[in-house]
Amino acid sequence: MKAQGTGKRLRTLIGAAAAVSMAIIALAGTTRAAATTDAADQARAKHYKGTRAFVVDKTTGAVRMPTQQEVDEVVANLSALGQRPVESLQETPQSNGIATLDLEGGFGGVLLARPNDDGTWETKCVFTVEEGAEFLGLVEDESIR
Amino acid sequence: MMTSHIVQRIRALAIGVAVGALTAGSATAGPAQIVIVNINDAGVGFNDPTPAAPVGGNPGTTLGEQRLNAFRHAAEIWSARLDSAVPIRIRAQFTPLGPGVLGSAGAVTFVRFLSGPLAGTFYPIALANKFAGTDLLPAADDINANFSTNFNFYLGLDNNHGTQPDLVTVLLHEFAHGLGFSQLASLATGALPAGVPDAYNRNLFDNEIGLSWPQMTNAQRVASATHFGRVVWTGANVTSHVPSVLVFGSPTVQVDAPAAIARPYQFGTAAFGRPIGNPGVAANIVAAVDAVDAGGTSTDGCSAFTNAGAVIGRIALVERGLCGFAVKARNATEAGAVAVVIYNNAANVNAAPPGMADDGTNGQFVLIPAVSLTRADGLAILAQLGSGVSMTIGVDQTVRAGADAQGRARIYAPFPVVGGSSISHFDTFAFHNLLMEPAINGDLTHKVKAPDDLTFEVLRDIGWTFPDADGDGFADDEDCNPNSNTGTTIVIGGIDTGVPNTLFGTGCTSSDLISKIAAGAGNHGGFVSGVAQLTNDWVAAGIISGRQKGAVQSAAARSGF
Repeated sequence: MKAQGTGKRLRTLIGAAAAVSMAIIALAGTTRAAATTDAADQARAKHYKGTRAFVVDKTTGAVRMPTQQEVDEVVANLSALGQRPVESLQETPQSNGIATLDLEGGFGGVLLARPNDDGTWETKCVFTVEEGAEFLGLVEDESIR
Repeated sequence: MMTSHIVQRIRALAIGVAVGALTAGSATAGPAQIVIVNINDAGVGFNDPTPAAPVGGNPGTTLGEQRLNAFRHAAEIWSARLDSAVPIRIRAQFTPLGPGVLGSAGAVTFVRFLSGPLAGTFYPIALANKFAGTDLLPAADDINANFSTNFNFYLGLDNNHGTQPDLVTVLLHEFAHGLGFSQLASLATGALPAGVPDAYNRNLFDNEIGLSWPQMTNAQRVASATHFGRVVWTGANVTSHVPSVLVFGSPTVQVDAPAAIARPYQFGTAAFGRPIGNPGVAANIVAAVDAVDAGGTSTDGCSAFTNAGAVIGRIALVERGLCGFAVKARNATEAGAVAVVIYNNAANVNAAPPGMADDGTNGQFVLIPAVSLTRADGLAILAQLGSGVSMTIGVDQTVRAGADAQGRARIYAPFPVVGGSSISHFDTFAFHNLLMEPAINGDLTHKVKAPDDLTFEVLRDIGWTFPDADGDGFADDEDCNPNSNTGTTIVIGGIDTGVPNTLFGTGCTSSDLISKIAAGAGNHGGFVSGVAQLTNDWVAAGIISGRQKGAVQSAAARSGF
């Protein structure tokens, strides 16, 4: 039983890691390799689970809880697109009299939406994983740390 | 004969200065070309061939076409407002982003000039390019935009979105972040990247600290980011347009005395009790005392108050915990309080003031307004009760919703700080609702400037200008003549009248109006008659003298028109 449980947990972890990787690969067209590495690091640093139904099921149209794969996908994308520590930004002098801060595809506002009971949507523009997670009802899953 | 009403109107419209007396208008490049760089692969995103019926003015017949049309439409709206000789490149794609994630956009790079008058400030690359008049980083795009294929946006261009999020509105919001409506200081440490402020946070001022953001220490910036209602935008363009955008009537919970804690407070509202401001309440605060229930305290208000004699006619201060909000508010009502303030308990020390739900039982017995506060604010009030604390809970009709008492737009600065969203948006108390609040409200229009919105005014304050071909101070798309005759005096058929060429509030000059008469007149007599009518109106409005009228009419009569 224990061995089976461990194997199931391992598969879950592998599945989650694969989902994160796939989401990051999907974004690779717009973000640079360094950014996605940072994002992946951040995404792996915390594991989230869903506590609130915010997914509109494509088949039934009903609002349901997110699957773990969907949670991982959301977290990976928030990590890649949102704000990272300012201290990580490096100023680079250029030859044409300017210095640049490359935001590495991140530091953007990320607009989120969750459905209301009346069919409308509540939206929020967030910049960090933590802020986005709170809005979507994602909480840290200590059990798989 | 001109009625006095019309005379007054013309007087109001006349700017009252001769065109030649205008300060020199800077050369403008014209509307910025905004290029949507579609990086989607064939068959997906912007290239999705799924058939779609045209909707809301969007003529696309595939899902991909409609997405691209919406992007272009949002880009055109911004293009009409922004003047730049350098195309703004938005690298864009639709891609799966997971449920709940609609999309994102932001500047690819921030730039500072190492010398010259613009040194010492970071600018988003699109704005830096505008200043430079050339593409400073020609190999890179300027704004990065990722939007979700998972989400069912309204793709029409007419804002008739019903219950769906409107893609064009979402794009206008996110593009604004990419154009400079965001700042880079860390909200966790207060640090500025490379120690340099940016164009946005240079316009931020904290009423409590009394400093602008660049003047603050890192620790002060961290604190300021949670100074609800006290972080304001000081840029002149926003401030001058606040009266035309934000309406009077600011919901407020304000300590009036003692001075040490007198200020507006961040507050949560209740789903029960009397609405705030209906009518307003102003009274002293008394800490409620009740019996200690099992697991509770004497400050939690979960039982009948034992100091009702002190509470009656006052605002009751109660601590969160043990029982529901409605129970506390009901006990306050029954003790004779005129309002109840519930502050967070130790278990919620870092939480925002909660929205307070009804329990379905007790809310109906709450007949007074109820608001919630952070724990820090509750304790600050508690510490001052010995010297008397007076509070107003209501709608301040002397202050505009979303502005401070000085009429400056408030910036979103709630406690606790919310990642990067704090500071990089307008305050949620703004009304009319603004495009750059953290949430996209359903009643937003596609208009980004005053009197409908203040977003463009923020961009002007950080350095953007509007297309203005004739330099008369009117944006080309709002100018009754984008290429006005801006000569110093009125010249008709080569005859210089010597009469000042006035710029009117529509963007037309005196010479423009005379030219319009010439274009519409069937013959010379019609032209002369039209000029006579016009100049009579100007005299009645006090714009020109009788002698000047004579000079203009004489020139018209002698001209070849």
